[in-house]
Amino acid sequence: MNAVQNLRAWLARTPTSIIVMGSLLIAFVVVAVFAPLLAPFDPSRQSLILRLRPPGSAGPQGMTFLLGTDDLGRDLLSRVIYGARASMFVAVASVSVSLLIGTALGMLAGWRRGWVEIVIMRFVDVMLSIPAILLAVLAVAVAGPGFQTLILVLGLTRWPRYARVAYAQTLQVATLPYIRAAELAGASATRLLLRHVLPNIAGPLLVVATAEFGLMILFEAGLSFLGLGIQPPTPSWGTIMSAGRQYIERAWWLTVFPGGCLFLLVLSVNVLGDWVRDRLDPRARTRG
Amino acid sequence: MSQPVLSVENAAVHFRSRGGFLRKAGPALKAVDGVTLSVQPGETLGLVGESGCGKSTLANAILGLVPLVGGTITVAGREVRSDDAESLRAIRSDAQMVFQDPALSLNPRLSVGAAIGEPLQVRGLAKGAALRDRVAALLKAVGLEADHASRFPHAFSGGQRQRIVIARALALQPRLVICDEPVSALDVSVRAQILNLLVDLQRDTGMSYLFVSHDLSVVRHIADRVAVMYLGRIVEIATMAVLFGKPRHPYTQALLLAAPEPDPVRQRAKTRRILEGELPSASNLPPGCAFNTRCPIATEICRKDAPLLVARKDGAMVACHHAED
Repeated sequence: MNAVQNLRAWLARTPTSIIVMGSLLIAFVVVAVFAPLLAPFDPSRQSLILRLRPPGSAGPQGMTFLLGTDDLGRDLLSRVIYGARASMFVAVASVSVSLLIGTALGMLAGWRRGWVEIVIMRFVDVMLSIPAILLAVLAVAVAGPGFQTLILVLGLTRWPRYARVAYAQTLQVATLPYIRAAELAGASATRLLLRHVLPNIAGPLLVVATAEFGLMILFEAGLSFLGLGIQPPTPSWGTIMSAGRQYIERAWWLTVFPGGCLFLLVLSVNVLGDWVRDRLDPRARTRG
Repeated sequence: MSQPVLSVENAAVHFRSRGGFLRKAGPALKAVDGVTLSVQPGETLGLVGESGCGKSTLANAILGLVPLVGGTITVAGREVRSDDAESLRAIRSDAQMVFQDPALSLNPRLSVGAAIGEPLQVRGLAKGAALRDRVAALLKAVGLEADHASRFPHAFSGGQRQRIVIARALALQPRLVICDEPVSALDVSVRAQILNLLVDLQRDTGMSYLFVSHDLSVVRHIADRVAVMYLGRIVEIATMAVLFGKPRHPYTQALLLAAPEPDPVRQRAKTRRILEGELPSASNLPPGCAFNTRCPIATEICRKDAPLLVARKDGAMVACHHAED
């Protein structure tokens, strides 16, 4: 009873947009996790008689292709549902990898200064000057295409953005008197960084991470399009769209539905990211 | 006389702009240059001077936050060595600091209780219920409520935040608290409250203060003795009564004349003597007495020899060739 009241109170003071976007994100996650239970068809079952059917066409055994079929006669809805898995997994994993590396190196550079700063930040410059696609080609040539390679490539090429933000923020925070006060209190360097610096630079990093989340899905699509990412027949939103691109005049649904899902997912992550950042700030948390 | 809580002997702190690729290292900036002073138990020493004279640098050097290039600093009998983490930890339980801007000296993401308890917690001196009790006692000691511990700094006013900062400084029961302009960021109406709190706490605990300020009226309220600093050097140290009654160094005299008098009649009667010229750069000090470029009574010798801090009959120490006895 109390839990229900709490939930109702929470819903009452949370903006509608957050509730809508939150529900959307939860829906995407549920779809991705329970894809095998939710997909009406096997996403890789082909039927050349049923290729490029528009949304709502009749399928075998009295079933309907709700979102139509693709150029090989596969059910688009099932492919989009399974594609959510691949796309979200790649995005979450690569954002986590790059966020971790970038934050750690950026904070270290801003905290230690001196040659540590020079080495790390010049390395960041070097990384930013290497085209990610080239690096991806190289990585795929060495390790072979697949999920791991894709996540590694994205994670290891995207960390400089986080490093820059973490570095600049750490420089700013490190000189504040409360850091000196904690040092005088006897706090170790690890404690200073994790308890005093990190919470105060987390907001901007979170914003970068949510922006990157959408970019990661787009990058995955781009790399998959080049044959460097997720390999067919495994569906991802990127591969579905890149395959559908050829048929855009005859079969608009192949690009519009996965594209629409991508748009809604990225939008919800960005809106929620901003909201979480504000909530993390105790100054905005007047009513606990 | 008992052992001083703080003794600074001939301390010097220089900053040097780092050289680099295609860039020469600049001349040393002598932020603190040959400062000698001491603070006795239970005493308040005011340290005054205009901004940039090295007051805060000296305060930081005492806590080992910046390295000395010369001289020694001893806190409660222990020499401060900025490269010796072990001894710095011990020194920082004897000497703590209150900062200028209470809005910046509290971590906004840390509750007030966590901030005050941090020195005790990281040193393993108290935890759990004992830590909570200690924090509650500290909050009460500075005039706040025990249940304020769970709140965050943004919920407090400037004066209340400064009370929290003071409570944090007191957590380790230090023998010396360095107050670096503790009231200059506060509203005038709150200043007196904080100053009175400092006085009360000193009476209860017997600790000493090194009270850094540019505001003579504030120092007058709290200090037993006053040291006047100019460009990294002490130009005059004397007890309150002597310094305000009979300032000897021309810089001290100018400072006192510049401070406004509450009584308008006396304010109008004051002979104004405004210092001429700019403050010289601390990285390019004039030869001889550092004050000679602005001094109204400077002569040839002031441009050649730096005057030493010499004791006078009434105990005052003055660094001036021409100051009367």
